Amino acid sequence: MNAWLITLIYLINLLIFPLFLVGIIRKVKALMQNRKGAPVLQPFYDLSKLLRKTETISGSASWVFVWSPRVGLAVALITAVLVPWAGTLLTPNWVPATNFLLVIYLLALGKFLTMLAAIDTGSAFGGLGASREATISMLVEPTLVIGIAALALGAGSTNLLTIYAAPMSPLVAILVGSALVVAALAELSRMPVDDPTTHLELTMVHEAMILEYSGRGLAMIEYAVALRTCIFLGLAAQTLLHAWPAYTALPVTFRYGISILSLIALGKAVAVAEGIFVKLKWRSVPNFLAFAAVMSLLAALIAAAQI
Amino acid sequence: MSVSEFMGGSGIWCGAAVLLWLAVAVAGLLKRKYSGSALSVLTIIGCAFLLLAAIFGRNCSLAFPLPWYLGDSRFSFVIDPLSRWFLAIIGVVGIPVALFSPGYLRHMRQRISLGFVWAALALLLATMVGVILAANAIVFLVAWEVMAASSFALVIADHEQRDIRRAAFIYLGATRTGSAFLMAGFLWAHQLTGSWSFSEWSLSGVSALGPALLIFVGLATKAGSWPFHLWLPIAHPAAPAPVSAIMSGVMIKTAIYAMARFFVVGGSFSVPAIGPIILILGAISAFWGVIFALLQHDLKRLLAYHSVENIGIIMMGLGISLLGKRYHVPLLAQLGLAAALFHTLNHAIFKSLLFLGAGAVDTRTHLRNVEKLGGLIHRMPWTAGAFVVGSAAICALPPLNGFASEWMLYQGFFAFAQHGHSVGTRMGALLLMGWLALIGALAIACFVKAVGVVFLGNPRSQQAEHATEAGRGMVIAQMLLAFMCIGLGLAAPLILSPLGKIAAQMGSPSLLRRTWTIPIGLLALLLIVTVGVLAIWMRQLSRSLPVRRFITWECGFGDLGPRTQYTAASFAQPISRIFGAIYGYALEVTVKGRHRRHFPETVTAETMHEAHLETKIYVPILKSIHRMSGNFLMRLQAGSVHQYLIYMALVLALLLWIGVGR
Repeated sequence: MNAWLITLIYLINLLIFPLFLVGIIRKVKALMQNRKGAPVLQPFYDLSKLLRKTETISGSASWVFVWSPRVGLAVALITAVLVPWAGTLLTPNWVPATNFLLVIYLLALGKFLTMLAAIDTGSAFGGLGASREATISMLVEPTLVIGIAALALGAGSTNLLTIYAAPMSPLVAILVGSALVVAALAELSRMPVDDPTTHLELTMVHEAMILEYSGRGLAMIEYAVALRTCIFLGLAAQTLLHAWPAYTALPVTFRYGISILSLIALGKAVAVAEGIFVKLKWRSVPNFLAFAAVMSLLAALIAAAQI
Repeated sequence: MSVSEFMGGSGIWCGAAVLLWLAVAVAGLLKRKYSGSALSVLTIIGCAFLLLAAIFGRNCSLAFPLPWYLGDSRFSFVIDPLSRWFLAIIGVVGIPVALFSPGYLRHMRQRISLGFVWAALALLLATMVGVILAANAIVFLVAWEVMAASSFALVIADHEQRDIRRAAFIYLGATRTGSAFLMAGFLWAHQLTGSWSFSEWSLSGVSALGPALLIFVGLATKAGSWPFHLWLPIAHPAAPAPVSAIMSGVMIKTAIYAMARFFVVGGSFSVPAIGPIILILGAISAFWGVIFALLQHDLKRLLAYHSVENIGIIMMGLGISLLGKRYHVPLLAQLGLAAALFHTLNHAIFKSLLFLGAGAVDTRTHLRNVEKLGGLIHRMPWTAGAFVVGSAAICALPPLNGFASEWMLYQGFFAFAQHGHSVGTRMGALLLMGWLALIGALAIACFVKAVGVVFLGNPRSQQAEHATEAGRGMVIAQMLLAFMCIGLGLAAPLILSPLGKIAAQMGSPSLLRRTWTIPIGLLALLLIVTVGVLAIWMRQLSRSLPVRRFITWECGFGDLGPRTQYTAASFAQPISRIFGAIYGYALEVTVKGRHRRHFPETVTAETMHEAHLETKIYVPILKSIHRMSGNFLMRLQAGSVHQYLIYMALVLALLLWIGVGR
């Protein structure tokens, strides 16, 4: 396919699809609750509205608060460029080699900035959210690293593009894919770890951190969250697709279609899960994330035995 | 090799640096009240000489001619890529520390004698150079001992405080114990080889295990590795901040240098058991350091625990390097060593930056308890900015230097997983990757806490409220280190060539160059451009809709006081609870008042933890030693001259008997 065309599709995908996915998740969630729900394009309307509103910043806030969303969004964009969340074949060849550890640490950089910004305003909610976010990422990051390392061991490379271009052992793919789904629920502040739509700040994690943001700052954060949603769900979807041995042999356009469809399906699954699960007690979160850790460890064991 | 050849190589610069520092030491001792701008400049020039030797110098060695003998070995020194690397570390940290010190020491001038601090500091720098250049065990030990003594003098500089005297005493005990192990190991190695020269030691097999273990314990004590780290979080916070920076940044690294020299690069000992031991102790240290750091409320103590963590990370690198040597996988051996050495440099830079930041806060607020600080980013903007960069670097966030070296360590683990001989080792290597990720995430939690509570939010005390920016020299020193954090992160591919030279000392040509696969410069550029575009766009938008400043949302209850902010203890609570079993974490909340539930009069919350290693193992051992000396040894030293004469006669008889028996 033409290199320019690929780049075009890639960039459109990058700029439009994340918000679309968030819209779909919200719509399905509304349907689950017997509501009609906002249109799927609502996140776009929200974003353009936020960009046109006055931004209010706390008097206690410093440059950390101001620059955190800018750098955070830039980091999320770069990470989204690097990660083959919609499959590897449509990745243009100007995208540099992507080490999975670089991706995990780039995501950590974004979280580090968000947590600092949360504390910056001197609000108790910010500190509470940051503290919980730090705890959750402490529980999730080892799982992510071990799980993807198990895939990397099978592919013989730490480059994400190489990992996802090669066939995988189906068992490892299923285990790591499921671990990534559970990890994604925690990292994206979704039910049952965190409730993104609650009205009580004390029960929130991510929303408590960004409580002080408004207008443009909030718009950038919302977009970064949408990108992160795509990155995590996309990685999980790609890994699960690799459990189907014929997947890597399919024609290019077909694979792209399946990737996008599976990403949407996974988003819908997350929405359904939000509809039927209750939020876990904060103290039970480690037990829930232990499932992901165990699946990752099993995958690592199988990968280590199969090499 | 002759003196002139040595001088032609890097030797002249090292020699000049050492002489300069000895002059500083003499000057400092002569002028006790001198605050030291001139001494600072001289120290910086010495560090610059050292950097010249490290970067442009050649490999050389030197043995002094006949009259210069120490016992039965010569004064001999050697400069090779490995020692040049560590000379660079001394120089790189020495310059900002010397820049920072005059401003910092000024606020302590009533309590301590400044000339004395400069003298001890210069002596410490000079003896560290001695340790790194030493080519035989005797020179090494002499330099090592003077290094320990001068650092002890620095720890106890502020000796009017009881805590500091206690800390210095514990430090002295730890260094004595470490040196005793080291000496025993050296003597044993001398016994086996008949030589004091490191280059002539090539011990392997079962007989080498004894001296290797003794030397390792001695070095691990100095490095502050678990379970010998006990002294580190006590002694480092007690010293003045620039000294903490030198101790944490450089001095404990001399032990890492010696480990690399004896076990990894030099091949003095090829003992298979040492590799797994270093790896496992490193893994435990890294975790142990960071979970205890989370609990600390004293900023410098928190940083000291992070030194335990980072020494652990460095040792993990050395450990897999040794395993690579053992299984004949050059890639693994080189990656492990390179990651360890690179992290040594990086840790030296960001840890000294953070200690200097803590020192700057200390001079302006006279507080080290983080729970009393807050909001300093508005009052000390430069210090805060540098501290944020240092924190991001120690958390291994890209594109800073900590990320580059930890990434190399991850690559090392991955190579270990690929080349492991059994399922167990491969699985173990993957687990180590997860372990490092866990440690990294905990470090992020800890530094979000440290930065958040100290610099962000609102001030929690009068002192923090009235703080002002530190002096110019102090700020420049911190900025210098912060730029180094960024620069080394971006220049990581260039660093691979000196690291490759060290790796080549292990015998096979360097494979490092092709292991670096991250286009870090491109990514940094991309990041800057994207942030720039976003910033310009946002500025464009804010033309029509300016930003409004308002209070932080207080739920409609009225003004938020500083006490409503999250504290360091509450920030760390969720993680501390998860790992609570390790240190007996407990949180006790008491609510008092008649209608306790809705209208409490007083609410107190108290957290407790206990370091089991200290209370269950070290304290009983120390107590029994104390008891023994009280009950038994005290009687031997009764102060009676007759008794002492009997001892002398007995010892003389014993020696005669041994001598005749031979």
